[in-house]
Amino acid sequence: MGMPGMPAFLSQIILPMVWIVAASLIRKERFWPYEALLLGLAWDLLFGPVVGPGGIAWTASCLGLYGLASVVADRSPRAWAAFGAFGAVVVILVQRLAMIPLGLATSLTLQQLMWSALLTGLWCGLVGMVLALDFGKHWRAYRVRKLR
Amino acid sequence: MPARSDAGTSGAVRHLTMLRTYALRTVLVWTLLELLAAFQVPSAGGVPLLFSWMRTLIEPVAMAAEGVVDLAVDLNLGVRGLQRIMIDNRRMRIQLEELQARAMLLQADLDALREIGELVGPDAEFEAGSLIGRCAYRDLVAGTMEVRTAQSIILRRDTPVVSADGLVGRVIRSEGRRHWLQLLTHAAAAVAVQTEDSLVHGLALGTGGYALTVAYVPRQAVLERGAMLVTSGGDGIYPPGIPTIRVARVRESDDPFLEVTAVASADLRATQMVLILPEWAPAEGGGPP
Repeated sequence: MGMPGMPAFLSQIILPMVWIVAASLIRKERFWPYEALLLGLAWDLLFGPVVGPGGIAWTASCLGLYGLASVVADRSPRAWAAFGAFGAVVVILVQRLAMIPLGLATSLTLQQLMWSALLTGLWCGLVGMVLALDFGKHWRAYRVRKLR
Repeated sequence: MPARSDAGTSGAVRHLTMLRTYALRTVLVWTLLELLAAFQVPSAGGVPLLFSWMRTLIEPVAMAAEGVVDLAVDLNLGVRGLQRIMIDNRRMRIQLEELQARAMLLQADLDALREIGELVGPDAEFEAGSLIGRCAYRDLVAGTMEVRTAQSIILRRDTPVVSADGLVGRVIRSEGRRHWLQLLTHAAAAVAVQTEDSLVHGLALGTGGYALTVAYVPRQAVLERGAMLVTSGGDGIYPPGIPTIRVARVRESDDPFLEVTAVASADLRATQMVLILPEWAPAEGGGPP
C-alpha cells in the first residue's frame, strides 16, 4: 500500500495481518503457525533489509493472537478490528526488537505505532464485517426468490 | 467421578506438554531466524555478524581453556620445582648435618688441641719424651681406657699416663698404635699420694666406681675436704708431683686411720687427649726425666 502516488498513511496498513487474524478467530484447531512464518519471511524478502526478523515478528504476532483468541469469545467485526490492531503492534514491536541485535533497528515513534495499529485494525474490522454480512448467503437467497 | 478427574488431569498434562512443545519450538525457530539474519548482516570487519557473535561466544571459552592449560603448565612446573626444592632441601639438610657433625668433631679436636697445649706447652712438666694419645674408648665401670697414638710404638707396662687435669692411670697393654690403660679408679689400682706440702701420705685405691678411697692416713693428719693430693712417687710407678685426687670426705673411725674418700682430679669421663710418659723410668730413681 506504500506505492508511489498512494496516500502516505496507507503505507501504515499491514494488509497480510488479516490472514493471521482470520486464522486465530475462525480456526477451531490451532497448530504452530508455519504459515505466519512463511508470511513473515516473504515480508522480509519483499520489504526487509534481511530475512529473518519478519518471520519472528509474524509468528510472534500469530501466537499472541492465538492466545488472545483462546480467552476472548467475541468473533464480531469489532473483535476483528481489535485483533488486527493488536497483531500490528506485536509485529512492529517484535520486528524492531529482533533488529536491535543486528544493528538494523530503525526509529519508531508512538504516533507511527498508533497509526499502524489503528489502520490495520480498521482493515481487519472491515474484512470481519464483510464476512459477518455473508454476501453469499444473501446472494443465494436472492437467487432462490428470483427463480420462484 | 474419579474417572472424570483422571481425564481432567491427563488433559491438563497434555495441555502443558503441548504448551512446552510450542514454547521450545518457538524459541528454536526464532533463534534460527535471528542467526539467519545475523549471517546476512556484515559486521565492521566485513565478516558476517554471525561469525562475530560466535567469536564473542567462543573467545571466553577459548581464553578459559587457555588459562586452564597455562594453569596446568604452571602447576606442573611448580610441582617439579617444589620436588626439586625438596630434593635440594633434603640434600642440604644432610650436608648441614654432616657439617654439624664435622663441626662437633672439629670442636672436639680443638678441645683436644687445647688439652695438648696445656700438656705440652712451654710450662708443661712432661713435655720432653712424652707421647700424645687420643682416647678411643673408655669403660669407667671396668676402669679401663683405650688410647691411640699417632705412631706405632710398644709401650712398657706401667707407663704413666696423665691428662691436663691430673693423673689418668697406667698402661697395662700396648699393641702398635693402640694402648690400654688401667684407670686410677680401677678396683685394683693403687697410687701413692701425698699432700702438696708432703706432710700427709696415703695410698689412693680404686673402688671400681667414681670415687676412690685413701688408705693409711693417720688419725692425727690434718686433711681437709677439697685438699688436692699429688703422687708421691712412692709406688715406683708414677712420677711424683702429679695432681691425682681431691679429697671429698674425711671421717674418723675406730681404726687407726682416717676414712678418706676422694675423686680423681682428672675428668675421666671427658678427657680426650692424654700424655703418655714412656721415658719415665721408675727403676732409675723415680723422677721425671
